[in-house]
This record gives sequence, structure tokens and C-alpha cells, in this order.
Amino acid sequence: MNNFKIYQCENSIDGIFTAIYQAWDSGYGHANVKIEEQSETNNYSNIELFSDYILVKTNLEQALMVSKSIKAKISLEAYEMVCRVALSDYKGKGDLIYRFLILGFHIGSKIVGHLSNKVVNSVFKLNRYVNGETHHLLGFIRFSERENGILTSIIHPKNNVLSLVTPHFADRLPNERFVIFDGNRNICSLHLPGKPWVIAEFPDIDTSDFEGIVDDEYENLWKIFFDNIAIKERINPKLQRNNLPIRFRKDMTEFEYV
Amino acid sequence: MIIQEGMSIQRKLEILSDAAKFDVACTSSGVDRKGNGSGIGNSLACGICHTFSADGRCISLLKILFTNECIFDCKYCINRSSNDVVRASFTPTEVCELTMEFYRRNYIEGLFLSSGIMVSPNHTMELIFEALRMLREEYHFNGYIHCKAIPGTDPVLVEAIGWYADRMSVNLELPTASSLKQLAPHKSRKNILKPIRQIQLRRENNNEYLGIYDGRQNERNQVKNLILRDSNSGSNNSIYNKILNSYNSKLNQASEYNSVRLDNELNVASPESTNVIPFSKSPKGRSRYVPAGQSTQMIIGATNESDYHIMSVSETLYDNFDLKRVFYSAFVNVNNDSNLPSTVSGPPLLREHRLYQADWLLRFYGFKIAELLTEKNPNFNVLLDPKCDWALRHLEIFPVEVNKADYYTLLRVPGIGVNSARRITTARKTAVLDFKDLKAMGIVLKRAVYFITCGGKMMYPIKLNEDFITRELLSVKDRLPFGIEKDITYKQLSLFDDVSFKPDDRLVHQQISLA
Repeated sequence: MNNFKIYQCENSIDGIFTAIYQAWDSGYGHANVKIEEQSETNNYSNIELFSDYILVKTNLEQALMVSKSIKAKISLEAYEMVCRVALSDYKGKGDLIYRFLILGFHIGSKIVGHLSNKVVNSVFKLNRYVNGETHHLLGFIRFSERENGILTSIIHPKNNVLSLVTPHFADRLPNERFVIFDGNRNICSLHLPGKPWVIAEFPDIDTSDFEGIVDDEYENLWKIFFDNIAIKERINPKLQRNNLPIRFRKDMTEFEYV
Repeated sequence: MIIQEGMSIQRKLEILSDAAKFDVACTSSGVDRKGNGSGIGNSLACGICHTFSADGRCISLLKILFTNECIFDCKYCINRSSNDVVRASFTPTEVCELTMEFYRRNYIEGLFLSSGIMVSPNHTMELIFEALRMLREEYHFNGYIHCKAIPGTDPVLVEAIGWYADRMSVNLELPTASSLKQLAPHKSRKNILKPIRQIQLRRENNNEYLGIYDGRQNERNQVKNLILRDSNSGSNNSIYNKILNSYNSKLNQASEYNSVRLDNELNVASPESTNVIPFSKSPKGRSRYVPAGQSTQMIIGATNESDYHIMSVSETLYDNFDLKRVFYSAFVNVNNDSNLPSTVSGPPLLREHRLYQADWLLRFYGFKIAELLTEKNPNFNVLLDPKCDWALRHLEIFPVEVNKADYYTLLRVPGIGVNSARRITTARKTAVLDFKDLKAMGIVLKRAVYFITCGGKMMYPIKLNEDFITRELLSVKDRLPFGIEKDITYKQLSLFDDVSFKPDDRLVHQQISLA
């Protein structure tokens, strides 16, 4: 009796792709393997009985082969969807991507239209969920100007969207030095004028550098504008909360008061 | 008039943002533009909301008046010349600094600049032009700019400003020329429509020159063509076509009537207006004229026009003046003017909501106003949204088969919107859809269930009976924006109000029997 093989991998696009490569390559058969990514807090989920655990070491070469063949054999659209799913906070996304790719390599670029299929539907929904949060943050991110002219921002997104929001700001503010810090994952993206932006990890960073109120005239002006633009006869906190969920507000200038 | 010298920028912003809050068109959509690598800013066609104010409305742009000084005396406006309010004006430099610093901190997508009228329309627009020019050329701002044009401005100035703005708008203010005359004695319909026409023609010329094909216009034409084609072939999908046929004749009459009337207003008023438009060479680095198009806004509930009247005007503006958006603003009696309806019990928000719903039906669903309202039945149903209301009056074309019906037929099913219809047409290419699949795909069946079949079957046995479905639909809660209750006044009452507005008797009956 063959045991179930569970491939445990790093919680990153490359980690998941490496696991997919190795699981595919193993020849155990799709029905007998499963992919399990580390959760964001670095603990694996409950160990399953009657299974062999295989620890996957991220291998960039293998990961690159997977992404190349997705682009070539399925489509660029499918590749982008898979990447967004890999950045989501969904538990079991590694296995979902694996199942999606099995279908994708069989059907080809039309796979993204198979919305009545359970796997494709889940990928579609997660993709929309990550896209939605990314789009929210394009608007809700707030920069504070520090003494040295650097713009800093702190966010606490549910999904790992830092790599999805940064290109927008790099394009928009080419001459600015800015840092966006993800307080949930201790990673940040950095941008300097004329250079490509990068993402760096800071496991032991002191976030107080990013939080707290700065003495900046324009922050006060912004609060004045924000308060005055509302029509008093139409005050509607429920609608406001529906459009701008509370979880975003702790990082937004106009909602902080001394 | 109180004029203060040496006012601080805080105080100015306080006054001039408060004065701008009734302008509703705070969208940053309609133009895709990458950063240019040197200046600051880019723009996304979908628009970005940066925050939501306490009234739940989106804040996307720095929405301010250039000045709240005004020589006009419009009865509905807080800044009218006869009001004793604190007056302030920005300088072009102050506007630029505010925009740039807010933009860097990602507070805004760009600038929305409107204004009261200081000295004369031309004087004010010259200052606004200077602000826009400085922002683009000296501050190298590449973000979004929405600029209001003041009626009565010299066409040469309108021409010049259009090269620096992404969107321009002239407020129509009120749906008819007569109520405009009554409430805004210094404005005339002619002066409002003239710049709208000028910008429209100039944009068309510019787009043609650049070889840009306007996507939206294209889509609208497709809807038109589809309706015409379907009605001509007129045999296979018969019931739907018959309906369309009958509409085509009806709506042709109606819309021709409307467009002729608005066009006439324009032409009769100034025969030369469509012939001579100023034409300048584009300034360096600026190749597109008002790339995001035009919008306008109307005040709802200050005068006694019916919904039919208001929507007919909107339809004409979309069809003949190429407007991107018409905004509706529920009237708030800020001046407590006794000649205007009181809004003590709250502005007519439900009515505004129904108008927006109908507006969407016009722009994205291929509906014509003649299908939704008539002279005899000129107002929207308070209890049901316009599409449900329409569907109940046309049960003969329902139920439609989800696996067969074309895109525009699906769009006519209550509860199925643009996203759902697209998802259905994509998914059914690869599978026969069942109600279970629809649910999984995120399609809301609450309303749709009465109007569709999957594989020839309805979800559960349903009588195709108007009364029955009406009752069922009324028990499904209409998803109104938070804070709008159904029992609030739909229309402000006035002593001499003789508009025959009342909820459908039949519905009232059912409401009572339900209760």
C-alpha cells in the first residue's frame, strides 16, 4: 500500500513552483501527492496520518521551468492568476495551484473560462480577492514625509500584495525615495530615483519608525480637507464603512487623531 | 461681502473645500497614462478612490473651488452673491503646491478645480488656466485634472484649457431651460450648451487626428446596431424581437423628439456656435484634448421636473453630446430659501439612487428611456428598482434560458449585471450551466430566479404571474445604499405640486396585504 506523499514547501511563488515541479516529476501520480505550503507564521498544519512528508528545498531553476511552461503551454493570463493566488493568504493554495495546472496543461489557454469547474472557480475567486485588496491599497496607502525627505508608509494587508502595489508607485513617483512596509510580514519595498525597486526582509525591525504622527503641515491640511468635504445632511457611517473597511484605517492619515 | 486679507492657507482650504462639497463628479476615471519617468504622476482608466468621507462618498480628487467670490446669484447655491459668507480665493501657486504635496503623499489622484465667478467668467477662467498651465509645465504634474468650465467663458479660453485638463465639465444645473431661468437668472441654457458642444467637436477632431477610436462610443454604437439588426431580422428569437420592434418605433420618436429639442435650443440660440470653434496648436508635450471626456451634473428635487424629463435629457446628452457621465445631486436647501422646497426631512436620496440606477441601464445595459418611463407614468417606482419594474411589465419575454440567451438578453434579467452576464457567457462555452454552477460563480439568484431557466427548468416551480412575482420581489429586500430608507420622502412636497406622482396602487395594495 502506497502512502500519500505530501510535499512541504516555502510560502512563496518559487517555493510552490519547486514543489509542483518535484511532485510532477516524482511519478507517484497526481492522486497520490499533495502540496502543502508553510503558513505565514511558519508552522505546518496538523500532520496527517499514513502520509510521507517530503521537505522541498526551494530551487530557482526548477521554479523557473514551471513558470516558463505555464506561460508557453497555458497563457500569460493564467500565469498571472497563479502568481496572485500564490500571494494570497489562502491555506492550501499550493495544492490548488497544482490542481489548476494539471487541468491547464491538459486544456490550454481556455482553462480560465471553465468557471463552473470547482478548481478554476476557486482560482478565479482568489485572484479577484487579491486583485481587490491590491486596488484598495493603491488608494489607501498613505506616505508620511520624514525629515530626510524620504516617504514612508506602513500597511497591514491580508494578502502578500507588496510586490503588486509597488510597481504602481514606482511608475507614479519616479523621482521620490520611498519605503512601503508590510507590518504583517516584516518585509518592505524600497524605491530610489532611477533605480529598480526591491523587496527586502527585516525580521527584527522596530515598526515605531513607521508609525506615529509626524509634524507635517500637509497632514493637517489633509485632515481639514477630509472633514470639510463631507455633506453634513448626508452623514452615513455605514456606507463609509462599507466602502472603506475599518481594518485599513489604522494606517491612514485622516483617521489618526491626537 | 466679507473679504479678509492675508488669510492662512488652512482657513482658505477650509472655506473652499466646504464650498466645493456639493459638486458630485469626483471621479478620476477615463484615461490610462503611464508615468513619463521624469515628472510626477500617472493615471488609471478605472480610477482610484483614495478615501471615503463621513457621508460615504468617494474622495478621489482634491476638490476645491478656486474662489467662492461670485457675481452670479443662483438661488440654490451657498456662494450666491446675495449671501453673506466669508469669501476666499487661492492663488495659482497655492493650488499647485497643495496638489503636488497631497499627490506625493498618495492622498489624491489629482485635482478637481471648480470656481465661483470673480469679476467675470473670463477673468476667473484665466486664473484657472494659469493654475493648470503651471501645474503641468512648471511642476511637471502628470496626474488627473478635472476642470469646470464656467458658462459664458470665451471659447478661446475653453480651447486653451482643454489641452491641460483630462476631463472638463459644464454643469447643466437644471433639466429645463425654464427652471434654469427661474433659479439661476445669470445663466442661460445657450451659454451652458455652447462650451459642451465646442469641447465635443474639438475632441472628435483631436481623436480623428490621432487615430484614436473611442471605446465607449464604439460600445454604444454596438448596442444601437444590435437593436437595429435584431429588429430587422426579426424571426428566430421571436418574442424578444417583437418587443424590440415595438420599442424601436416608440423610442425613435421619443429620442428624436428630445434630441431635436435640445439641439434646437442650442442652434436657435446661437446659429454660429456650431460653425466656428477656435482652433489652436497643441502646447508642447500635450497631444490630447480632454482625453477623459466631459461630464455634467443636475440638481434633483429643486424644481418639479419628472424623472422621465430628467432621464430624457440625460439620454440626449449621452447620445448627441458624447458625455461620459451625467451626475445627479439630491437637492439640499442650504440657503433656507422659501421659494425652494424644504429639505428639513433630508435630501431626496432615494430618488437620486433610482436615477443613478436608470443611468446605468442607459449606459451599460442597452436600455432606452422610452422603455422605462412614459409621459403618463413619468416617475420611477419607489418600491422596486427600474429594471425589476421593467421586467414585471414584460413577463412575456421571460423566463430566459441561461445557456442560450445572448448577452444583451441576459442583461435584462433582474439581478444579472454586467459582470454576471459576462461570467455566464464565458462559462457556458465549456459546460452546460446549472443553478448550482451559477451560485458557485457568485451570481446572485435572489431576483434572477424568477426570470431564468437552466436546461429548461426553473429552480423551483414558479407561477409566471405578475402579482405573484411582484409579491415575491417585494419580500426580497431591495439593496439600497446604506442610510437610504424606503419610507423617506421620494420627492419634496410643495403646496402647488400637481405632478401625478404616487406609488403604483397595485403595489400599495400588496404592501398592505403583506403587512
